[in-house]
Amino acid sequence: MRHGMPRLIAGRTLSSLSAIFGASLISFIFLRLVPGNPARLFLGQFASQDAVDKLVEQMGLKDPIYVQYYKYMWGFLRGDWGFSYTTGQPVTTQLGHRLPATIELGLYAFLFAFVGAVALAVIATYRRRPVVDGSVRAMSFFGLGTPPFWFGLVLLVVFSERLHLFPGPDGRLSIDSTQPPSITGLYTVDALVTGNFATFADALWHIVLPAIALGLAPLAFLVRLLRANLLDVSREPFIVVVRSKGIGRFSAFARHALPNAFLPTLTAAGLILGQLLAGSVLVEKVFNWPGAGALVTDGILRQDYAVVQAFILLSAVVYVVVNLVVDILYGVIDPRVRVVTAVA
Amino acid sequence: MSEATFVDRSPERLRIGGRLAAAARYVVRDRELLIATILLGILVLLALFGPLVWTENPNGIDVGAALQSPSLAHPMGTDGNGRDIFARFNEGARISLAVGALVVLASALVGGTIGLVAGLWRGLTDSLLMRALDAILAFPPLILAMAVTVGLGVGLKTAALGTMLACVPYFARLLRSDVLRLRALPYVEAAVALGATRKRIVLRHIFPHTASTMLIQSAAVFGYAILTLAALGFVGLGAQIPTPEWGAMITDGLQYALTGQWWVALFPGLGLLAAVVAANIYADRARDILDPRGEFARV
Repeated sequence: MRHGMPRLIAGRTLSSLSAIFGASLISFIFLRLVPGNPARLFLGQFASQDAVDKLVEQMGLKDPIYVQYYKYMWGFLRGDWGFSYTTGQPVTTQLGHRLPATIELGLYAFLFAFVGAVALAVIATYRRRPVVDGSVRAMSFFGLGTPPFWFGLVLLVVFSERLHLFPGPDGRLSIDSTQPPSITGLYTVDALVTGNFATFADALWHIVLPAIALGLAPLAFLVRLLRANLLDVSREPFIVVVRSKGIGRFSAFARHALPNAFLPTLTAAGLILGQLLAGSVLVEKVFNWPGAGALVTDGILRQDYAVVQAFILLSAVVYVVVNLVVDILYGVIDPRVRVVTAVA
Repeated sequence: MSEATFVDRSPERLRIGGRLAAAARYVVRDRELLIATILLGILVLLALFGPLVWTENPNGIDVGAALQSPSLAHPMGTDGNGRDIFARFNEGARISLAVGALVVLASALVGGTIGLVAGLWRGLTDSLLMRALDAILAFPPLILAMAVTVGLGVGLKTAALGTMLACVPYFARLLRSDVLRLRALPYVEAAVALGATRKRIVLRHIFPHTASTMLIQSAAVFGYAILTLAALGFVGLGAQIPTPEWGAMITDGLQYALTGQWWVALFPGLGLLAAVVAANIYADRARDILDPRGEFARV
């Protein structure tokens, strides 16, 4: 068979693999350009030249460049991502500690963006009142134009410092809250599972503002996409058919227009993930959120680039894989895609 | 969309002044476009003439006047070193608008060339170029800009270079598909049949028709570039303090925002917001006007 799912999956997987290979080359090249001697950074400025030379030898910095690339990638694949220059800890340990916080923040930001976007897009398109539609459009313009790090700060000033409704930028929990046992690493989930409702409320309280700051751009992006798709779909002939069968306006909208308008949103999932990954680097710094993004900004300030390098390559890999999964899912849901890609 | 169009059949259309007036009427009739024009106009005026009119030194330290709230003497207040934030804001507008425009020009040039070559030559060149672009697109855009800036050394120039590299694929891919679409159109076939040379077909019949794509994309990338540059400045990879770059100014304001001195970080953020919103509205309108699919394609 010249088309269909196996062909789609094979094609997309191949192009994803080549994209990851290219991305790893790019990151390897730029990260090898980093000024300064990693061995010197690792040992500190008081180490003797002999010790530095020895470490340079050990780290393989004198090998030919392709051997270095091979070792770097082989290490990355086996989970050996090097050591932090400042703390001496393995990068995997450091990132492992921090990732749950980032994942939790990202999940809540996505929840906010998704629920908010559906609500706003439905409000804007269902009644088609120009005033409502216009304000939703304006909001999406401002949402896309607002720098997330600055918006987080504005939220903090208004809701924490002035109105005292939410906690200030002091991480994931108040000092007097007991930390939940680490099951998933997501504080709200762990606290709920162990029945610790005080900690659950506290964790939720802390995540609201950063999640809104991080979710604003994806929200605006989704609103624009959904609104346009809803308008398009509700003009399609099949909606007229549905209505002429005697199905009410609301049912036609909720059961027929909305599900069809959702499909293109799925393709946008990869873009949203990119926004969340990059946004968390920016937002975590504002809220002192102990996540991977804050680790990266700290690493930049202290010139501890081992962490930054690992994060960059990791985000590229995650980004490509998510896009691949979305492409394949899309083929499963929408049979037209399979045929079209096979022809193209 | 309103009923307004650029088609103005009155004789004054022939004069340049008449055309300007027609364009101005068009802008005024469209509320969103009016807002965008006013926002961008203010920023451009401040960037061009601000430093001439408001002669306070943007880097002049005056510890005695540190952290003053906005007043007549300092319309946007002063920062932790007593520097006048209004003067720094104007300087920041210069940096953001100028560097943003440069990034757009450079990435349009590089990305456009890649797209044109890939679309015209097809075959192996095309697939190699597209693979390279895929590798760039494998990164979330800000993360790629970070990687480049870390590798080439921290600073405004390298940050601009990183942002440019992240923008190139957006031009290249669009232009490539534009070229592929155009070369299959009947009028190109007609030109071939009439014996037009390859050079003439490319320069006369294909390249000019990619202008609208480039214009739409340039407006969108402009806002994106300004935001990315500021984000890099914010995490410490772009312009370094005391350079009055908006992103770096926001970082500087972080420490004061929660102790009551909100103005240090507020104004540079407003500047960013205004610039990016204006660029996005322009991109949107350009798409409305130039995209033949019209209102259905409006996102």
